[in-house]
Amino acid sequence: MSDGRFFQTTKRGEIHELKEELHSANKDKKKEAVKKVIAAMTVGKDVSALFPDVVNCMQTSNIELKKLVYLYVINYAKAQPELAILAVNTFRKDSLDANPLIRALAVRTMGCIRLEQITEYLVEPLRRCCKDQDPYVRKTAAICIAKLYDISPELVEDQGFIDILKDMLSDGNPMVVANSVAALSEISESAGKNVLPMNENTISKLLAALNECTEWGQVFILDAIATHTPTSARDAESILERVTARLSHANAAVVMSAIKVVMRFLDRITNTETIRSLQRKLSPPLVTLLSAEPEIQYVALRNINLIVQRRPTILATEVKMFFCKYNDPVYVKMEKLDIMVRLASERNIDQILMELKEYATEVDVDFVRKSVRAIGRCAIKLDRAAERCINVLLDLIETRVNYVVQEAIVVIKDIFRKYPNRYESIISALCENLDSLDEPEAKASMIWIIGEYAERIDNADELLDSFLESFHDETPSVQLQILTATVKLFLKTPSSTQDMVTKVLKMSTEESENPDLRDRGYIYWRLLSSNPEATKQVVLADKPTISDDSYSLDSSVLDRLIDNIAMLSSVYHKLPEAFVTRLRTVQKGEYEDEEEEEEEEDKVARLRQEMKEGPAYESDEEDERDRDRDRDRDDESSGGEPTDLLGLDDTTTTTTPTAAAPTVPQQMVLNADQPGQKGQRGLKVAAALTRFRGSIVLQMTFGNMSQMPLSGWAIQFNKNPFGLAPGGPLQVQDLAPGQTATASLPVTPNQLLSNNPPAVPLILQVAVKTSLDVFYFNVPVDFGVLLVEDDSTDKDTFKDLWARIGEAKQVSVMAMAPQPLPSAQCIQTLAAVNIKLVAQRAADTFDSLYFSCTTTNRLVVLAEISLQKSGNGVKVVTRTEAGPLIPLFQAQVAKSLTLQRTG
Amino acid sequence: MISQFYILSPRGDTIINRDFRGDVARGTAEIFFRKVKFWTGDAPPIFNLDGINYIFVKRNGLYFVVTTAFNVSPSYTVEMLQRMTKVVKDFCGVLSEESIRKNFVLVYELLDEMLDFGYPQLTSTEQLKGCIHNEAIMTEQPSHLGTMRAAGIALPQLQINPKTVPSNAVHRPVGLTQGDPYASKGRKNEIFVDILERLTVVLNASGYVLNSCIDGSIQMKSYLSGSPELKLALNEDIVVGRQPGQAGSGGGHGGWYGVVVLDDCNFHEQVDLRDFDDHKILSFVPPDGEFVVMNYRITSDFRAPFRIFPQVEQITPYKLECVIKIRADIPEQNYGGNMVISCPMPKHTAFVTNELFPQTPMQSAEYVASDTKVVWNIKKFQGGAEHTLRCKITLSQPCSETIKKEIGPVSLTFEIPMYNVSNLQVRYLRISERHAAYNPYRWVRYVTQSSSYICRL
Repeated sequence: MSDGRFFQTTKRGEIHELKEELHSANKDKKKEAVKKVIAAMTVGKDVSALFPDVVNCMQTSNIELKKLVYLYVINYAKAQPELAILAVNTFRKDSLDANPLIRALAVRTMGCIRLEQITEYLVEPLRRCCKDQDPYVRKTAAICIAKLYDISPELVEDQGFIDILKDMLSDGNPMVVANSVAALSEISESAGKNVLPMNENTISKLLAALNECTEWGQVFILDAIATHTPTSARDAESILERVTARLSHANAAVVMSAIKVVMRFLDRITNTETIRSLQRKLSPPLVTLLSAEPEIQYVALRNINLIVQRRPTILATEVKMFFCKYNDPVYVKMEKLDIMVRLASERNIDQILMELKEYATEVDVDFVRKSVRAIGRCAIKLDRAAERCINVLLDLIETRVNYVVQEAIVVIKDIFRKYPNRYESIISALCENLDSLDEPEAKASMIWIIGEYAERIDNADELLDSFLESFHDETPSVQLQILTATVKLFLKTPSSTQDMVTKVLKMSTEESENPDLRDRGYIYWRLLSSNPEATKQVVLADKPTISDDSYSLDSSVLDRLIDNIAMLSSVYHKLPEAFVTRLRTVQKGEYEDEEEEEEEEDKVARLRQEMKEGPAYESDEEDERDRDRDRDRDDESSGGEPTDLLGLDDTTTTTTPTAAAPTVPQQMVLNADQPGQKGQRGLKVAAALTRFRGSIVLQMTFGNMSQMPLSGWAIQFNKNPFGLAPGGPLQVQDLAPGQTATASLPVTPNQLLSNNPPAVPLILQVAVKTSLDVFYFNVPVDFGVLLVEDDSTDKDTFKDLWARIGEAKQVSVMAMAPQPLPSAQCIQTLAAVNIKLVAQRAADTFDSLYFSCTTTNRLVVLAEISLQKSGNGVKVVTRTEAGPLIPLFQAQVAKSLTLQRTG
Repeated sequence: MISQFYILSPRGDTIINRDFRGDVARGTAEIFFRKVKFWTGDAPPIFNLDGINYIFVKRNGLYFVVTTAFNVSPSYTVEMLQRMTKVVKDFCGVLSEESIRKNFVLVYELLDEMLDFGYPQLTSTEQLKGCIHNEAIMTEQPSHLGTMRAAGIALPQLQINPKTVPSNAVHRPVGLTQGDPYASKGRKNEIFVDILERLTVVLNASGYVLNSCIDGSIQMKSYLSGSPELKLALNEDIVVGRQPGQAGSGGGHGGWYGVVVLDDCNFHEQVDLRDFDDHKILSFVPPDGEFVVMNYRITSDFRAPFRIFPQVEQITPYKLECVIKIRADIPEQNYGGNMVISCPMPKHTAFVTNELFPQTPMQSAEYVASDTKVVWNIKKFQGGAEHTLRCKITLSQPCSETIKKEIGPVSLTFEIPMYNVSNLQVRYLRISERHAAYNPYRWVRYVTQSSSYICRL
């Protein structure tokens, strides 16, 4: 007999049948029935209707059956809270059972019922279980505290559970220690403050626990230690002495976390001998990780990429270990290639080139391309090896494998850029492959080479001329190169190419719809017609040198990523803010103004960094210019409006709309891998809707991650409840691949009305048209953005209106602030989002504040906010004629004041 | 901090599904499967999609996936997933869709003990046995091929030898089972020790070793009753740590002959290393189920077990001849089993005729047109023997240098039972139990496997 039959398709009346079986007197039949219910649950069927019947089976001494029922209860408690409460008594009874397994099971399951109501019943059993004589129960209780914190942080703090957890760090059982550390780490993270402050005492406690703990606990302890900043080199050394033993652990996670601690603390150590010996200790375990399963290898390789950027000597002699194996998965091979280039030196370049050349003959096209590119990167990195790299590339070109040739030409262009006038003798070999080029990047590169070295190519004019026929069919990047190359050719050999240059200029300007091409065409045309000599100086000027650092991370970003070794950040090479979406319900209270600004800037920098990812290996002049432009823009924004323009004080947090200051944190709203209407991908957009000086502005940052330049920008909004519409055309410059640009678009309300009530959360559906495709994305809208500055409600109108709306249309909400909220701060914060104070009144135990605000469509929302004097309780009572606005208003108040709803 | 965990079948059906924290929306299983299925090439084991982090391992065709909203430690999550696959296999006997479906209640029970609120709890089979109540339901033994990867090792059982047991002896659940033949006879007291070495070797056309590496591990699977302490003694001339400057090539000879130099090694956390430095003895109480006692890595010179000598010659403009000669450089009593040699042919290949020397029924070769590859199977390759394949290639285009270069590399997969290349040996495995009556069966085997064994042309 097998349980597999539970998965067979169900017939009608099944629920009814199960119900009967659940009430069967026969224990085995009962158990079978519960199993069937769970099988149905697994495949996604709704069996919540059986809740009372299943709970009925819970009062049994059969632990197997009990476990099954518990499994069911957890799954459905959220859907049927009232019923879950019914089960509470059994849970409480079980938590006193003589069998430790049942005691633990009860507490574990109660913690999994994520219901506010259950918390009060949980506190006592939980406290008892923390002191249970059985370690299995204690370790379960430790995790349960973290669960409780997730539901009700205040309760955990008030009931002193955090101190209990700290005591449990000294427990004699490794699992209890591990879970206590895990719980404390999680509470620290979600509280935004460290409940486990790192000091000598904690560190020594943790180090002692490190030896006593399970492997998983060791990971948490090491991660906690990594957040410590050693006070001195001596301090760092003594901690590392204890940590380095973990480098030979069989669990890769322990090794990775230990590596993180070493990498972080190395910066503090001053003695060069110690540094060298520590670095030597890192190398074998790092390489050993490459013998593990491919998944671990991938994590290790992404981390090694960061580590060798920071400390290149660590693996300098180990490059052989990064050679690709025949059976490595592609994602491992790709990472290995990157690291091979990073470790390339004049000592090992011959070995590396031999490998890369082999890889270039393999079957996986992406891998082959990247290998060819890696050869080019080596050439640019190592001056003295450049010639050997070129020879390998020439060998590869001879294979005539189409994509190999194209890739080789792209990298050779870069090599020419890096070492002008050195390797032009190979141009003729390149020209032989002209006809086979069909990829824009390769074509553009080849044309650039022809233009740049026109004087050395006998038939440069013929070659270029051959491209002219299909000029209008080419992609913009190729058109631009044809234009520039033809102008270069004309400047070098004016006599024979006059017709050609006129033709190209004409095609670029009069016959092209691409503004970028037109602009460049007109510039050349005017330059040529007014002053050919000056044109020469401009067009044929020396180009800035390029280096292979385009794949490297900015040093400040790298610093922060090193802190995040062994975390997902280190795999994505992105800072945590960029992808961690779990909302912080409680805000950090101890932020200082400066720090906050720094973080804002960080975010902007990060966003830019992120937008720039991708094929950043552009070496055209345009790119240089853009980088300058970017820099200018950075200066502007960081030195822009003072942030206290709106009277925000230092308690405001990053999520409060620092409203109109130009550096508003933008949210990623479109990823480069989300396709547009025609299925094209490659546009990245970050956006924020803000209110600035009395009007609404949509701020956007665009990143071009595609292979084509983007132009032809236009924007449209979908109809929406507040009728927001673009107040002007979208002005964005053309974006070359890999570039980013920002744009601000004025937004006018009450235009595109959808005549639907607003939904929560409020979003704006936006379509952006580019030459690539039409992309759709949603921009989140803060209610505060829709509130006007000139709300005119005074005390009397407030009273009248409040009475007229009446209690029937009133919604009141209880909430908690992270700390007691002074009324002045509350008033100021809400004023920043145009929620205005009308009156205030003080009672014995609380302050009542009366607010009013008006939306862009002249709807008025009134509110009474009561602040508890002796605690951090907040009550928000809202009245308005326009009911659908209430949730929006409440969300805005909760966000501004960082409230957490309690009822 | 794992939010959700699920096991998906190769077709993307959810077999097991558990939400630990409720902070990631439902329905991620379908999103995950679609993303991985349509990924160009192999999907990396970790990716972020719309703010949700997906981390997965694929074993025996099954996807073990977790999602999380946190900046977790990825190696920790991957290790956890791997541990879960091992535990499920230990309890269900084999890791397959069928066994998990049959035992889904057991798997849920295991899951609840292994993860609480997304944090790893009891992760070893040993600890779990104490609090698991469901009994495993045995599945039919799948075909030998299917278990090959599941077991990590599978040996062709060619003769019945009283000193050996079938390799599927380890495909039994460790816990209680229904209808287990072993259970009825009373539990057999035995322990399996595998010294497994996976080889990475790159040879050039003249047989010279360009790059080589051994990834070794000592694995055990214990069915011992009680918890006796074991002492595993290795050969005493092991040296850990390669001196800088003493590079992989050339370092292994002369004064170092016979010495086993490990570049690096790591141990199971329960292993007591007090006697390792002086006597190379590891002491431990074996936990139930499968576990790795030690991993080691060697890059110093070793004798490659198979030498490959390829040769390509042009006969006429449309005909090429490729000769691959392989010599087994291992003792005569050993053999390479299940050897598969494959060699890519030029894209413009019209057809290939193969000739084998010596002509025995033990080997066969064919040209697989869909992969443009010649695949050559040798069931048993005796030590000291030499086999040759002569491929006569007919091209659809006149031959050029480039076409000639498209042949290769030759890659080998094989297993050599009872042989290891590193010379790492088990001197003894002793049980420090006093009773004379306590004398369990101890099975020790050495296996050498190819990981990436290629010869470039």
